Order: sequence, then C-alpha cells, then structure tokens
Amino acid sequence: MPKIKLENLTKRYGNFEVLHGVDLEMEDAEFTVLVGPSGCGKSTTLRMIAGLETVSDGEIFIDGRPVSQLEPKDRDLAMVFQDYALYPHMNVAKNMSFALRLEKRPKAEINKKIKEVAEILGLTDFLHRKPAELSGGQRQRVAMGRALTRDSSTFLFDEPLSNLDAKLRTQMRAELALMRQRVHKNMIYVTHDQIEAMTLADRIVVMHAGRIQQQGTPEELFKKPVNKFVAGFLGSPPMNFLESTVQQEGDDVFLAGQGFRLKIDGELTKRLSPLSGSKVDVGIRPSDLSFDPDASADNAIDINVVISEYVGAQSVLIGDCGGQKVMVELKSDTPIALGEKLRFRVECSDLHLFDTSSELAIG
Amino acid sequence: MAAVSDNSQAQHPAFYAVVVMLIIMAVGPIALMFVNSFKLDVDIISGTSGLLFLPTIQNYETALCDVLPYELDHLDFCALKFGGAFINSLIIALVSTFFTLVIGCMAAYALVRFRFMGRDTASGTTLMVRMVPPAVLLVPVFGLWNNEFCISKTSWLGEIIRDNFGGRGDVCLAGTHSGIILIYIAMNLPFVIWILQSFIVQVPRQLEEAARMDGAGPFQVFFKVVLPLIKPGLAAAAIFTFRIAWNEYLLASALSDRDTKTVPILIVNNMSEFNVEWGVIMATGMLLAIPPIIFTLFASRQIITGMTAGAVKG
Repeated sequence: MPKIKLENLTKRYGNFEVLHGVDLEMEDAEFTVLVGPSGCGKSTTLRMIAGLETVSDGEIFIDGRPVSQLEPKDRDLAMVFQDYALYPHMNVAKNMSFALRLEKRPKAEINKKIKEVAEILGLTDFLHRKPAELSGGQRQRVAMGRALTRDSSTFLFDEPLSNLDAKLRTQMRAELALMRQRVHKNMIYVTHDQIEAMTLADRIVVMHAGRIQQQGTPEELFKKPVNKFVAGFLGSPPMNFLESTVQQEGDDVFLAGQGFRLKIDGELTKRLSPLSGSKVDVGIRPSDLSFDPDASADNAIDINVVISEYVGAQSVLIGDCGGQKVMVELKSDTPIALGEKLRFRVECSDLHLFDTSSELAIG
Repeated sequence: MAAVSDNSQAQHPAFYAVVVMLIIMAVGPIALMFVNSFKLDVDIISGTSGLLFLPTIQNYETALCDVLPYELDHLDFCALKFGGAFINSLIIALVSTFFTLVIGCMAAYALVRFRFMGRDTASGTTLMVRMVPPAVLLVPVFGLWNNEFCISKTSWLGEIIRDNFGGRGDVCLAGTHSGIILIYIAMNLPFVIWILQSFIVQVPRQLEEAARMDGAGPFQVFFKVVLPLIKPGLAAAAIFTFRIAWNEYLLASALSDRDTKTVPILIVNNMSEFNVEWGVIMATGMLLAIPPIIFTLFASRQIITGMTAGAVKG
C-alpha cells in the first residue's frame, strides 16, 4: 500500500487560514481517524487529500509522489461521502459499477466485482433498486460498496455514519470494523464522534482549530493526553477539570482547590514541587472516581450530587464541587442519595494535570 | 377522516358555474375552430343557419393540396403550399429547440458551477436580453441577415451552395432556415439558461464530487451525472422553446422567403383584402396545433418531480 504523507498542508480561503500547516505521515495499511469538533479542519484535510479542495500551501505525497496538482481520478483514491452522494438515476448495481464502467472494464469483470462486493455488504437483493427505494443504512452500504468495487489502495471516509440513527450507527460501526479486517488497505476516516474514533482507529489524529493536537493509538491518547483539549475531547462522559493551586508543606505536595485538597505521592511530587504556588488544572475521568465515604480527605473530593442520569448498568452523577461541575460514572446499584455531600476517592496515579495558562500536560 | 368527507360534499352552485365558464373559455375557441374547419365558407358566415351543416373535408384538402396524391375537383390551382410550410416549421422548431437546449444547459452549468471573471454580469445580462422586444431586434437583424456575413457567390463555397441549392445573388442568412433558426436560438437562449440554472443549482454538489472521485472528467460529470438529473428542466425548457419557435410570426415573416416560410406566415398570407377563406384558415389552424400537442405530451412525460430523491440525506 502506498504511504500518504502531508507536509505543511495549509488551506486559506481568501485571507482566512483554516488549516495551519498540518504534518502527518500515515503508515502502511493503517486505519487513521481524523477527529475533532466541527470546523477544526479535519474534513478540509480529507478533501484536500481527495483532490476536491485546492492546496494553498504545502504538499501531499502518495508513495513519495507529490499529488496536490493532480485531478482526483489520478490519485488512486476512493471516497465515501457523509451524505452518501448516490447517483439517484442509477440503480444500486449501476451506482457501484460507475467507476468501473468509466474505465471501460469488461462486462464480465464488472459483474463479478459487483457480486463480490454486494455479498460482503449484504446488498445482493437490492442490486436493481434505485437509491430512493432504500433505507438510510442500505444507502450507506451502497456508498461504501461504490468505494469497495474499485481497486483503490486508499479509502477516504467523510463522516460516513453521522446521518444514521444511533442504533444503526452502532451496527454500521461494527460492520466497518469487520470490513476493516477483511480489506487490507489504507483508510482515512473523518469523524467528530470520539467513540467511532476510539473503536475503529489504529491511529487517532486529534485536530482543533486547524492544527493537529496529538496523534497516536487510541490508548496512548486516552491515557496520556498532551493537552487539556485532547483530554477533554476523548472519553465519554468527558473528563472533569478542577482549578487548583500547588501547595508545598515540608516534603508533601498538595493540590488545593475549592472543596478539595489532594495529596500528591510518588514521582509526581518531584515534578510538582518546583511549581509551588502556580495554578494547575486537575483532570479526573468520571470513571476514575469511586464512591467511598471512608476515604481520607487527602485522596478524595467531596461532591454535592445534584442529578443522577440512569443509563442502565452505569449511572452518571452530575454534581458540584466548590462551584465547579463534576461528573461521576459508577455502577447503578451504588446507593447514592441526591442532594447530599458525598465523598469520592481518586487515585493519585489517575490524575491528569495541566498548566492553567498553557493548557499543556504536566508530567 | 374529516378532510375526505368535506371534499366529497356538494359544492356551492356558483363553484360549478365558474368551472363551466372557465372550461368554455378554454375549450370554446378550439371547439369552434374544429367545427368550422369542417364547414364550407358559406356555412361559416351565415350565422345561425350554419349550425346545421354537412361536414366536409374540402378545407383540409385545400390546405394539404400540395401533398395530397390525388387531384382536387374544387381547385384549379394549388396556391397554398401547406405541406412545404409545415416541414419548414418542423425543421426550424426542432433544430432551434435542439441547439437552444444543448447550448443552454452547458451555459447554465458553467454559470452555476464555475467561478470566472464576470460570471454574475453574464448571468444578469442573459436575462436582460430577454427584456428587449423582438420587434426592436427585427430591423437590425433584417439588415444584418441581408447584407452582412454573406458568402460571395463567386467564392468556392458560395459556388458549391448555389450549385447545389439554387438561388441567386450572394449567399446570405436572410431567407434561409439557418437564418431563422439562429435568431430563434438567440431569442430563447436567455430564458432557457435561466430555467436550467435553477435546476442545476438543485443537483447536490456531492454527486459531482463523487463522480470526480469515481474517475469522471468534467464532461463525464456533466453528461453522465448532471444531465440525467435535470431532465425535467430540459423537458420544460424544450416545451417552451418549441412552442415559441412554432408560433413565432414577426421575425419569421421578415426573415423567411417563399421557400422557407413557416405555417403561421402561410395562414396570414392566405387572407387577402377581397377574400378571407375562413374554412381553410380553420383547417390549417387545426393542423398547426397538432405538432405542439404531440411534442408537449411527449416532453411532459419527462417532467417527474423528485428526480434527486435518495441522492443525499435531505
């Protein structure tokens, strides 16, 4: 599979720069997910790779060959669009074979390919239907089939699941993961849904405001976010952030904020002690908090629980700690009384610390 | 279902009166023309006594005298060349419609999708051309067609044309089918571009992008994806252009000659200051109405709403 490399990729609309020099290198046959909130430049990046947007600055290399001046058809890519973009005047088979027919491939070969792909996607019974006669999920599958019939080395997905309802999305996500195992090709996938990103990706690239924030495996990003944005973006429910100040008392280091005072132990003590007196944001994942009325105040925070959202096996509590909103995820059978101040324990090793002014991770 | 039972209730009598009046206004003239085309002139102008008459196809025979295979008893000389004029009308209307659509859809596509200098100006002026009355165009066009852009009869091309198609003088646009077709295309193009623009805007841009990703060049995107989707627009524009070209009188009367005159010109020429052959005029009128009816029925079949249904998530 060819390697795709972006070098200082920049996009400007007039004087307005939306993508500020993106550098990215994708490994062989890797499933890369570009993820970020709306307007972060992820779709623009994908469309520039596809050749649907011009490149203002920088270069895209496919297998070492600069392609930014090439037409989309000369880049050996297949793309699945957010809105399916099926040709409404053609039936499913014609839709899927459009590219092959343009290449004037022999009929027998085209038919064989369509049959093959239709079987993978479970579309065999729908080959003669028009897109208007299909359900949302089926249309999505046709859109994917259209990309699969081609022998392109690279697949581009532009938020392919965002138009499906929640149940179908979960189902299609699983199918995508399955397809991923069977089809060994480069895949670049754009989404704003961090769950899709976490479940599908070999490598996640988190983007924000036209810049890459961090890239790595889902686990790396989840466990070691480099800044507050990445930490807050990945994970559901999102990470809690509490303002605090570093305090040193003798050999001990504390993080003190409104309604809590956490004692730091282990290696972190050494790194935090020079920062004594400075402001630090403490990040705690909702799942890292556990209900423990007997915990010592040194490694626990007190939360006034306001709302409990029941989501089945788990419940999400929304509460307040010294005026700051805190979410806690825990087993639904935990006896919790609303409106009371409760103590939740947190391990020091589960803390994520960020410099308040630069928002970069500490440690 | 309250709404359904409401509909099936009897309407106010005034409603039916209005409906009947509208039907009479719409169908009446055509019915009158149809009935009169089977009457002799005596019956037509005789007022009430003409209500009882013996139907005759004599008017149709007179109208079609130049194409009928048999001799007519009631006519010494076939003055009315309806057959020839009918063919002229068909050629001019069909060819001008065809070219108007071909040029129109490409121009509309370019104006909607491509960014180039002066795009908005071009888009605006196309419609402004439409606001100029044809009568204003007539004199300059008549002059141009007669005196400019002529091929000398002594040049080799001119000689070929004169040898093969006959005629005298330099080869000019005036009096030719091409001359009339050209002005009809120019006249109808702005409106067709304008109609088609609104259809092309509705074609989702992702479809074109998808086609480009599938390996289609600009022309393939246009002909294989965009064109099939604006078929309803093309049909509407075709009906519009065909009807205008078929009915047009003013420009055709000035720019056609004896061999290229169209049916509307022929009908008017059939009236003289001494004699108006009502029966024949009615018969030619009926014959004149047939092609647009067929064309419209055929074209309107293509007007299907919701062509782009299922293309993208709404």
